[in-house]
Amino acid sequence: MNLVVALIATDQGLTKDTILTSVAGYREQSESGASKDALEKMFERDKESLRGLGVPIETIGDWADPDDLREARYRVPSAEYELPEDIEFTPAEQALLTLAGGVWSESSMSDDARSGLRKIRALGDLVDEPIIGFSPRLSLRDPAFPALQQAIESSRVVTFPYLKPGEGAPRTRRVQPLALVEYEGRWHVFGIDLDVHADRTFLLARVVGPVALTRASFDPALREGAGERALAGLDAVAERNSALLEVNPGTEAALRLARRAQPAEQGIRVPYVDVHIFADELASYGPEVRVVEPVDLRDRVIDRLAATRDLHGGAA
Amino acid sequence: MTARRPLVATDRAALMLQLVPYLIGKGEVSLAEAADEFDVSPEQMRSMVEKLTVIGLPGDRGYWQMANDLFDIDWDLLDERDLIVITNSVGLERAPKLTAREAAALLAGLQLARSIPGVGDTELYAGLLAKLARGASGTPAEVILATEPVDAVRDLVSDALRRGVAVSFTYKAPDAAPTTRTVDPVKVHIASGQWYLQGWCHLREAMRTFHLDRVSDLELTGIPSTHAGEQAPDWFDTDAGDVVARIRFAEDVAPLLGDYLDRASIDTFEGVTIATMRVADELSLRRLAARRGGLVEVLEPAAARRAVAEWAEAGLAQYR
Repeated sequence: MNLVVALIATDQGLTKDTILTSVAGYREQSESGASKDALEKMFERDKESLRGLGVPIETIGDWADPDDLREARYRVPSAEYELPEDIEFTPAEQALLTLAGGVWSESSMSDDARSGLRKIRALGDLVDEPIIGFSPRLSLRDPAFPALQQAIESSRVVTFPYLKPGEGAPRTRRVQPLALVEYEGRWHVFGIDLDVHADRTFLLARVVGPVALTRASFDPALREGAGERALAGLDAVAERNSALLEVNPGTEAALRLARRAQPAEQGIRVPYVDVHIFADELASYGPEVRVVEPVDLRDRVIDRLAATRDLHGGAA
Repeated sequence: MTARRPLVATDRAALMLQLVPYLIGKGEVSLAEAADEFDVSPEQMRSMVEKLTVIGLPGDRGYWQMANDLFDIDWDLLDERDLIVITNSVGLERAPKLTAREAAALLAGLQLARSIPGVGDTELYAGLLAKLARGASGTPAEVILATEPVDAVRDLVSDALRRGVAVSFTYKAPDAAPTTRTVDPVKVHIASGQWYLQGWCHLREAMRTFHLDRVSDLELTGIPSTHAGEQAPDWFDTDAGDVVARIRFAEDVAPLLGDYLDRASIDTFEGVTIATMRVADELSLRRLAARRGGLVEVLEPAAARRAVAEWAEAGLAQYR
């Protein structure tokens, strides 16, 4: 904190020597005889953790030799650090942001949302009429999410083990992650799969191990519009895949499928994105729905029902 | 409200950077209110404020810092009345920019809020998106939600909630005959793209939660809602039931069960988990088991276990 205050207060920057001998925290250590080496390590560590908190620490090097950091000066340009002076949030905007910030269930995102709201409220807490009566929630149970988000922010290539249903063991994927997408209540990462050099969308629930950030980075320009591309891709998949189903009227299946269904000659047509997940859902309806086509989906539903029956003692 | 955790050094530094602008914006604030705002205990807040007073500008050429080079507070107010007032500030008055992740979390929330009819207009959203983009220190990772278009039932419920009138509709609960309900709307919960209306049910004379996909023939009545201010119980509790069920599955299947396990007690031994929980309706277990196609086994109650086998068999019979 003393370091931040000192670095913001200076326009031309402070040299490392000045910092280590005058800024509280270092100064006491220095006076009680700590080695220069130890103090420099402490400074490097503090610098890194402040950058991690989003504090932009600028290094002004030697003009003649930019690599020579002995005489480098450090400062925090307040224009980079502070919320711009001309940004204000109206009461209506604050009310909406308060609603938006409250959607996350307990997760890294809920902490971030609360912290972001705090900064905005510090400009002046103006909510006169909070939006009541609505409680939108977003759940985030996928442990892969934070690492992927960090990788997207820093445009870094990731690897992760991905288990496709029906495959016995997970396979490691190498991906340039571009956007995180929630579709039908499930989280996906959209990116470029470097092994096939094509856009791919991965279901986070199938990332079965830790996401590793590699040293390789990619052009951040690839991220522009990625979210829209991902959604368009998922919609296109749903358009191509549609199942013909016979549904017993008045049942749970009829009710839950109605929102997505188009009437067809023999029953209803329902688009789907992922055959495995849709087969799971259809199996849960038991006798309330019959799959006419496609065969692939039909077989998967039959497999699930047969396995369920056998596990529970077979037919009576 | 989030749980109060011990603060690690980096958390504390992040909070301290936000504390000064907050306190200056407030002028005078109670310890309790500030603690609440920062999700820390009042004791933690007191210690943060006390630490603030040893922070300041560097001393000049070997001299120790002068008093007005440091942050200071009104100690009497803090000690005697638990009130915080900053009396000297040496910087950090304006709130820091949002981090990319903070901006991302708010932007994603806004997309969800936008799916609610009547909450904000296009202009308001556009203005906010621009401000958040300018107010962030880095480009946020894109976090996109595919929200569904709003249908007539959702539109009408939102309208009734705003106008404070009761709604009437036909409700089809799972595995039960349809009933006609009149409900004073209290709150709409939106989760995983599903909408739930929580309200005072005139038929049951109690708070109930209704899944809007199960609602049809919805109409606004002229009856003023008399329970709109009712304290809505945590809606997850409304589903707890009397039947005690036990299910068995491989440990790594647990993520697939999602919120089903939120209220379960879990017992895992050598990779096999047995979960015990209360369910409202044992018939729901057959849907759960069939969905997981042999990965989840219903152990108890015995009747539910039999019902699962019959359910799956009846499904299979359609394909013979």
